[in-house]
Amino acid sequence: MKRIEALAILDEVFASDPLVITCGATAREMASLSRKKTHLPLLDSMGLTTPVGLGIALGHKGRVGVIDGDGSLLMGFSILPTLKAYAPKNLIVIVLDNGQHASADGMYSQANVVDIAGAAKGLGLWTAQCDSADELKKLISSREKSDEVSLIFVKIETGNTPNIPFYLADPAKLGADFIEAVAG
Amino acid sequence: MRYLLLNQLIRGMMKEANSRLSALVDGLLDWQIEHFIYVPSSHSAPVIRSLEAKGIPGVMANREEEAVGIAGGLALTGKRVAMVMQDNGFGNALTALATFASSYHIGFPIFANTRGGLGEYNAMIHSISDSAPDLLKKLGIRVENLGISDSVEVWRSSTSAVSKLAVIQRRPIVTMFESLHPGMETIK
Repeated sequence: MKRIEALAILDEVFASDPLVITCGATAREMASLSRKKTHLPLLDSMGLTTPVGLGIALGHKGRVGVIDGDGSLLMGFSILPTLKAYAPKNLIVIVLDNGQHASADGMYSQANVVDIAGAAKGLGLWTAQCDSADELKKLISSREKSDEVSLIFVKIETGNTPNIPFYLADPAKLGADFIEAVAG
Repeated sequence: MRYLLLNQLIRGMMKEANSRLSALVDGLLDWQIEHFIYVPSSHSAPVIRSLEAKGIPGVMANREEEAVGIAGGLALTGKRVAMVMQDNGFGNALTALATFASSYHIGFPIFANTRGGLGEYNAMIHSISDSAPDLLKKLGIRVENLGISDSVEVWRSSTSAVSKLAVIQRRPIVTMFESLHPGMETIK
């Protein structure tokens, strides 16, 4: 599965739920597909996607989605024990794992040499892995009535979708839109 | 005899410092704080313990940038959230503060105890702590100060006012507060 195919599914599944999106090509590809006020793309701040999602999940009553990457999660790996400790059941973290920093010249990430899903599971977190669109949809749907935080690791192809323009949104506008949509 | 007098003086200072930390907590309660995110610190422990005792939900983060992300996320849902940390952790937090909290206009107060001043026992902590206010100001982040010479009333009213201002201005605002190490009585 290509990243942009996974993003299309996640945009559809988290239709009106708050959705935090990691930076670089992931944010750009999502913006090329869909732009919603409930989307919070982080234009920089690598490693912060899941912490921001945790904060939103603690303050929001409904379901909250996070789209992280293997590289970004590794940059802030200390969030995993924090997720376990506070475990908001309304939070679903999707880690799109292409084994590389696709927005940083495609440098390999350490997800190639360590089992990051296994590490999360070792911390006591609920984890699942998949590599197809159908499995991804089913896994998210199965977590509807979950009583703990969910981490779904999705194996995706390497590289970025070509000819996607830079995403030049004003972060202040993104923040204001998100507050309006989520906090009212 | 001299040591006895010094010990009495330090005990008096500790009492004064503790009453100011209580006033900081009262200021946060005046503001009607709903959540707090903290990074462990012996100097901030009285604030953290007191907020917990008052029933305010707290989240312990493992690193300062992680705390900025969680606090910012909560603030984006409209919650009144504060961060509690030590000033030597700002080196970890700067990128998150600049590219997330400041850039996305997310308002929440940060209360950071100062280190490296008189009574400090750590030989190197001043090498980051002394520069923390200038680093923050360089990023355009407002820095307020609460010292031992400020009255209890000032600590309480300033804490509440700074918290309100951060939300109104939609920016993180840092308050550097002086405290004494709880083990200071034993330092000779």
